Amino acid sequence: MATMPAFWKRTPAHASGQQPPTGPPDPLRAQRNPFLLRPLPQEGVYFHCKKIDNSRLVRETDPHTRGATWSVAGACLSLLAVLALAQIPNVLTTLEGYRLENLRTEERRYLDERRALELQEATLLSPERLEKLAQEQNLVTPSSRQVIHLDSRPDGAVAMVH
Amino acid sequence: MVERRLKWLAAVVLLWGAAAFYKIVSLQFVHHAEFSRMARAHQELVIDIPAPRGTIFDRSGAPLAMSVPTESVYLNPLRVPDLGVASEILSLVLKLDRMELYGKMKLAAETHRGFLWIKRRISPEETQSLRNLHLEWIAIQTESQRHYPGGTLAAHVLGGVDFEERGNGGIEKALDDVLRGQPGRARLLTDVKRRGIDQQLSSEARAGTPVTLTIEERLQFVAEREIAAAVAKNQAASGSIVVMNPYDGQIYAMASYPTYDPNVPPQPGDDIAARQNHALSVPFEPGSVFKVITLTAALETTNLRPESPIDCHGGVLRLPGRVIHDSHAGMGVVPMAIVLAKSSNIGAIQVGMRVGQNNMYDYMRRFGFGARTGIQLPAESSGKQRKLAHWGKTSLASVSMGQEVSVTTLQLAQAGSVIANGGLLVKPRLLLKRGDQPVPAAPAVRVIKPETAITMRQMMEGVVMPGGTGTRARLEGYSVGGKTGSAQIYDFFSRHYTHSYNGSFVGLAPLTNPAIVVVVTLNGTHGTAGFGGAAAAPVFHTVATEALRILDVPRDIPEEDPPPTAKTARSSDDVNDLAIADLGSDQPNILEEGDDEEQPVNAAAGPKVPNFRGMSMRAVLAEAARQGLIVMADGSGTARMQIPPPGSVLHEGERIRVRFAR
Repeated sequence: MATMPAFWKRTPAHASGQQPPTGPPDPLRAQRNPFLLRPLPQEGVYFHCKKIDNSRLVRETDPHTRGATWSVAGACLSLLAVLALAQIPNVLTTLEGYRLENLRTEERRYLDERRALELQEATLLSPERLEKLAQEQNLVTPSSRQVIHLDSRPDGAVAMVH
Repeated sequence: MVERRLKWLAAVVLLWGAAAFYKIVSLQFVHHAEFSRMARAHQELVIDIPAPRGTIFDRSGAPLAMSVPTESVYLNPLRVPDLGVASEILSLVLKLDRMELYGKMKLAAETHRGFLWIKRRISPEETQSLRNLHLEWIAIQTESQRHYPGGTLAAHVLGGVDFEERGNGGIEKALDDVLRGQPGRARLLTDVKRRGIDQQLSSEARAGTPVTLTIEERLQFVAEREIAAAVAKNQAASGSIVVMNPYDGQIYAMASYPTYDPNVPPQPGDDIAARQNHALSVPFEPGSVFKVITLTAALETTNLRPESPIDCHGGVLRLPGRVIHDSHAGMGVVPMAIVLAKSSNIGAIQVGMRVGQNNMYDYMRRFGFGARTGIQLPAESSGKQRKLAHWGKTSLASVSMGQEVSVTTLQLAQAGSVIANGGLLVKPRLLLKRGDQPVPAAPAVRVIKPETAITMRQMMEGVVMPGGTGTRARLEGYSVGGKTGSAQIYDFFSRHYTHSYNGSFVGLAPLTNPAIVVVVTLNGTHGTAGFGGAAAAPVFHTVATEALRILDVPRDIPEEDPPPTAKTARSSDDVNDLAIADLGSDQPNILEEGDDEEQPVNAAAGPKVPNFRGMSMRAVLAEAARQGLIVMADGSGTARMQIPPPGSVLHEGERIRVRFAR
């Protein structure tokens, strides 16, 4: 019978090369009973479960060690926090960089759009086009005697045509 | 046992450390530059910061030329996996000829060219289609394209740009350094998805400076429309108009015909004349408009006055080796003012003889002839004024009536400004602002006495009055002075003057305080209808009317009867500048009080307008109330002017405007 540790750990005798007494000595081939099976390895080993109650064993409280442990943990966390805090500007800079580049791209796009719209507006307001539209609407430029400029004009009123 | 294991562990750690150290040394020192470059290539993008070419505005802020970004496609043929497939895809999206594109790409690949433009300035839709393909060998580059929203509007003034957006004509060329921007470059730090994180400027972008011209867009349009119509109507070869402020030289309009669209790149076989600015690049013999210079020189250097008698020899003058004819029934002895009004060649020659060669030459130079005006446009001609030593026996006579000298329309406008502004030679200018900074005018130089200029203005008024050669130039509500010119075109092959003409008109209005000088020139007109008075003066009338309306110039004379119809004008006009008729009245067209003639009254139409002139405002309002009329009072003091004039019929809803002054 052996315990698990005993089983897996080789005994000093085994380590020194001595054969453990596992059974009766192996008879010579001529003396063997041919009807008997050969013994299996470790056939003579029996396991036995032994109940051990360690509940009454209690680790002795060591306030000094506990304090040291907490100190180390706190120091590590503090160091981690400092390192994290030190990295915050970099992280924020990177995030703001993303945002800034997006805004720059957007600004460029809006500027391009504005220029395109300005061109469109200028094309639509070209005198040639306006005159063509006016002709289609049968509009004519008033003659000079039809226009009276208002000196004390209200806002927006430049001249009147009668 | 434990010690042995520790030794092994230490050995392994040491080896690992040594390997790491070796790698660090290799990365950080031995191959530092190479790996830095590789890292940059992966993490950084070099981006171009666009710097658009400066916009060109007219004086009211309307854009005449502007640049907008566009996309262009290019690729590296050496990196294209399959040229056949690539050409098929690109030709389909960009609507190109597949075989032609394939040929180009194959040739580029065979010659190991790593860059090939596929199509430049593609549409936004084409750009999006290409981006959606997600093919790494297709590259799209943002470029800038110049647009002229008005099309042909002010084409000769603006000029144009080439493919690299460098000016190749007009203001675009003259102010290329100012207008052209300097693109910037920046290094963009990107993440693994090529999103930008940070940017470092390599070189700063400098946008082109916008410029504001003195050109008035609406007036420019009217001038171009009218010169095109006049050239077509008179079957002329070309024409030009310049509208100028006589005091500071601002050019309000400069039109030239034939014209072109600067949005369209020049093609082989295009008419070169269309791209010439005839207003300043093509000199011509001015003819009778030059008599203004002759008479001005006479007023300054001789004792001749407008009323001084000039013998016109009945229309025939014999000079050494040459006989000069007035082409109409000749005049006898007439006042010098009539010489100008009737545009008598012989009279002008007589005056020129009194002036003398030296003075004549001197005054031509004073008026700016024979020299460039210095306007900010390329290819300006200085005209041709022969040196005094090269003058022949009859040169003085020829020059006195505008022959043997060639000028540009712009030079004529500059000379007209001298008369208009009281004797100062101003330099014409096109640039009003550079960026936000106003461009100051060059200082003017006094070349004639103020009283001479005023006298000339009065004499020039006679030209447009009944009996003068330029009656069709008269304006409603404004006093006008001017001079017609009709010069035969000299044929250098046959060495004779042809029957084609340069018809021109130089005019200024309002005469009491000129706001504009307008010069109209038509080159290559035919027959009497192509003379200055018949062809150019009506163009002046239309353009000057529009100019005075657009510039909001107050009228200086009351409304008159409707101007003579074309029929009556034709009958009263001389058919050419040299024609003679009964000397009409040379009365000024500035009407004094009480000069108004009674309008024909249609009794059935409405009440007559009473005469309020000389009455106080209270009396005017009382009288109007008594008659049930609506009066719009303007100013204070005594009634000086009224519209409609006294006696005219008031139509339904029409109101009377009375201007008061102290």
